[in-house]
Amino acid sequence: MDAALKIWRYDSSTGDRALKEYEVDVPEEATLLEALDAVKDKVDGTLAFRKSCRMMICGSCGMRMDGAAVLACKTPMKPLVEAGRVPTISAMGNLPIIKDLVVDMDPFWAKFRAMRPYLQPGYSEAADGREHLISQERMNAIHKESLCINCGCCVSECNAMESDPDFLGPQALAKGMRFVGDARDQAKVERLEEYSGEHGIWECTRCYFCTERCPKGVDPREAIAKLGAEAIREGIASDMGAKHAKWFVTSAKTTGWLRETELVPHTQGVVSSVKQMKFAMKLIRHNKAGITFPPHVAQDVGESRKLFNLVKTQGRDGFAGIVQGERALASLAHGYDPGRDPYDRPDAAPRPYIAGEDGDPQLASGPGGSAGGVGSLTQADVTPGEEPTKKYSDEQPGQEGEK
Amino acid sequence: MEGKHDVLVIGAGCSGMRAAIAAYDAGADVAMVSKLHPTRSHSGAAEGGINAALGNAAEDSPEIHAYDTVKGSDYIGDQDGIEILCNEAPGDIVQLEHWGAVFSRREDGKLAQRPFGAAGSPRTVFAADITGHVLIQVLYEQVVKRDIPVYEEYFAWKLIENEGRCQGVVCWDLLNGGLKTIGGKTIVLATGGAGRQYRATTNAWACTGDGMAMALHLGLPLKDMEFMQFHPTTMYPSGILITEGCRGEGGYLINKDGERFMKKYAPNAMELASRDVVSRSEQTEIDEGRGIEGSIWLDLRHLGAERILERLPGSRELAMTYAGVDAIFDPIPVRPGAHYHMGGIETGNDGATELTGLYAAGECACVSVHGANRLGGNSLMETITFGRRAGTAAAEWALSNTTISVPQSAQRDAERELQALLDRAEGERPWKIRDELGQTMLDNFGVFRREEKMMRQEQILQELRERYRSVHVEDKGTVFNNDLTQAIELGNMLDTAWCMVQAGIARKESRGAHSRPYDYPKRDDENFMQHSISRWAGDHPELSYKEVRVTKWQPEERHY
Repeated sequence: MDAALKIWRYDSSTGDRALKEYEVDVPEEATLLEALDAVKDKVDGTLAFRKSCRMMICGSCGMRMDGAAVLACKTPMKPLVEAGRVPTISAMGNLPIIKDLVVDMDPFWAKFRAMRPYLQPGYSEAADGREHLISQERMNAIHKESLCINCGCCVSECNAMESDPDFLGPQALAKGMRFVGDARDQAKVERLEEYSGEHGIWECTRCYFCTERCPKGVDPREAIAKLGAEAIREGIASDMGAKHAKWFVTSAKTTGWLRETELVPHTQGVVSSVKQMKFAMKLIRHNKAGITFPPHVAQDVGESRKLFNLVKTQGRDGFAGIVQGERALASLAHGYDPGRDPYDRPDAAPRPYIAGEDGDPQLASGPGGSAGGVGSLTQADVTPGEEPTKKYSDEQPGQEGEK
Repeated sequence: MEGKHDVLVIGAGCSGMRAAIAAYDAGADVAMVSKLHPTRSHSGAAEGGINAALGNAAEDSPEIHAYDTVKGSDYIGDQDGIEILCNEAPGDIVQLEHWGAVFSRREDGKLAQRPFGAAGSPRTVFAADITGHVLIQVLYEQVVKRDIPVYEEYFAWKLIENEGRCQGVVCWDLLNGGLKTIGGKTIVLATGGAGRQYRATTNAWACTGDGMAMALHLGLPLKDMEFMQFHPTTMYPSGILITEGCRGEGGYLINKDGERFMKKYAPNAMELASRDVVSRSEQTEIDEGRGIEGSIWLDLRHLGAERILERLPGSRELAMTYAGVDAIFDPIPVRPGAHYHMGGIETGNDGATELTGLYAAGECACVSVHGANRLGGNSLMETITFGRRAGTAAAEWALSNTTISVPQSAQRDAERELQALLDRAEGERPWKIRDELGQTMLDNFGVFRREEKMMRQEQILQELRERYRSVHVEDKGTVFNNDLTQAIELGNMLDTAWCMVQAGIARKESRGAHSRPYDYPKRDDENFMQHSISRWAGDHPELSYKEVRVTKWQPEERHY
């Protein structure tokens, strides 16, 4: 099929940027990466982009298609071609461009390193030389975070990083959560203190673009939420973002409503609030804010308090409270119809059977049916021409050598 | 010189990073060179698992693991190396767990282990179906912890031999351009495989046999090059890997009628026979008309959605993305595809090569622990155990003596050669030669091998090498010029492919992955229970043979 693309080319020696259009012939099943390969091979050998595994695990080929980050190897061309779309391909955002679609990943890795991204187990060697004993459920707490392939798609789209380039960002924070949530790591509190600093957890604007664009289902925004919840649980709440979040909880617990009037002083402190009085008066004048004192209490505030107490007694007030069922997430990511039948559909592949055993259609057709296919032992067995003789489990592996 | 180190590791996948960590822990100043960022290495694409006889799921021992491996190797694995691997594997796995590897767990909290092909016990430790990814991440974390420097996106081109020692490497700096020389008292090659020689392959674009070719061109022996493993379940048509773990979890292989055809070929082990056996069985079904458009089906439907989502979510996603199939409802079309080089640079059990100061580990090396056929799950383990051993040995040697001396001429010669390549104003673009190489290797040196086809392939390779002499690099620039490196990679693939085909023609028997059903259908221990050795003699490879090291196990018939 003929696929057309526009690519933002960038020449670092001249600083020139130019949008160029290419048309290439690619197979039906081709991905965007294969289309780029075809351009480089057959049209313009100077086109630069990173690639390696072409199976969405190495994380090399992050780039933007029509302004949103994608892995080129995960993006099929056929739907675009069929829709008559000519996608515009450009380098990822929030990272300096080196050439064409190749960005400088150094700032990305610097933030990665700033997380102290390695297990700090607090011991040197387990006494008995065995693994830690941990349940799968406990490990699931960091399942999504450990799927990250460092492709940078989340960083490319991060709005908070666009306004503060020093923001640690979704990838680094998700990596941080991978250790905070690991039962084997003993540096949780130190980590949370570091990650809560300026440019840390609370700088996230919760736009969810990272989660939206992540090609692996890492869900960085949720990882950041988990970090925030755990930081507050550990009493690490000096950042305005943490105080802001805490006041929401206090509001829900005490009145069942958001106590808006007190939100600013409880988030920013008294001094800052006084400085903003003039602005507040202006809001009140225009009916944009009101002073409700004493605070209005919801009629069924008891329900809200019960919920709060339940979360407390279940110990689900840190990151544990945000862990979602991995299976639910998996099916969310790739929804499937549980009512669909894998076997009894007109287009279903035949049911598996073993020749000569139950289910063999030849047997069902009555006597005379041959039990098995044409068989080609002479070509396919390990020692052609020999009938397999004994069961593996009948052998005593290693026996011969031990005589 | 750009830099000097006690130990310089080339390649930063599992073997390379494990070697670098070991060298660092032994007290050496170590650095890595890689044409990719370390986490982009193809070790990360390994899916199913890593073998160690922990005995968590059923009774097991390193002896049984070793026996399975020897048998799987079709008796040309070196048994002392295999025993080292199997004895040291459990300790190495525990080490990885202590570093933080996110492995899957059993009910009792221990590491889970799943059954894998040709294994006498469920001994494959795994992390769902992204085991390689988890290992790459944990090793990189340990590299960061130690602050081991990495020359990232440096393409290693030529090893430097001086005064009878390997002392450095000339690299092309991808980001900034220009040749850079980096010196090392010892060099560890950990550059991985060369699966890109084949059109249908599980391997990444980066797997072009650079390390094997560098060693070959330095006159070092490559061992057992004819043994290329064809993985039984690579997706049709992309060649992307679907893990053996799918069969370990109970998946079936069926032909177009739904028949579980493995009953005919390996009645006991069925789908979990060794990879060479399963690949041949599939190819036979396809060749005899019982396939589906050149593929057969991997059927997971009976496992149910819950198990697929918990244990094989990555495989499901791959099949959905690249074959348009949801494995919960439909079987995945698969066929045998080039996957792993059993052969490679000949090393001893500590990774040392014939040349003082040069070590090798992982897929680019050949200890040999895999012989003629590798068991699934053994290669990740090899990268860890032999990566560590090579790194330690390289550090010990570097710390006990020597300075580095690299003649100026090394980089000057490379620069002249590079300039000649870049100055060429016209010629054939590499992709045509690359695609023809991939197609003809698949046609003529695949699962089943015929004498006349192999002879033809040897001729084709010479024609392709001739055309390669006028290969045209279109990008003349210095910034991220991978048009240049891709041309160099093609040369590496052509030369190593020649070694493979030459050794294949000469091995007049069927053993492991080398199958000649039409003229030599049987294994011939009397004449060929030997390693083939390929050496570069100026402009062509020369073949010789070397004894297999046997400790406990005498050859016997293989049945699964």
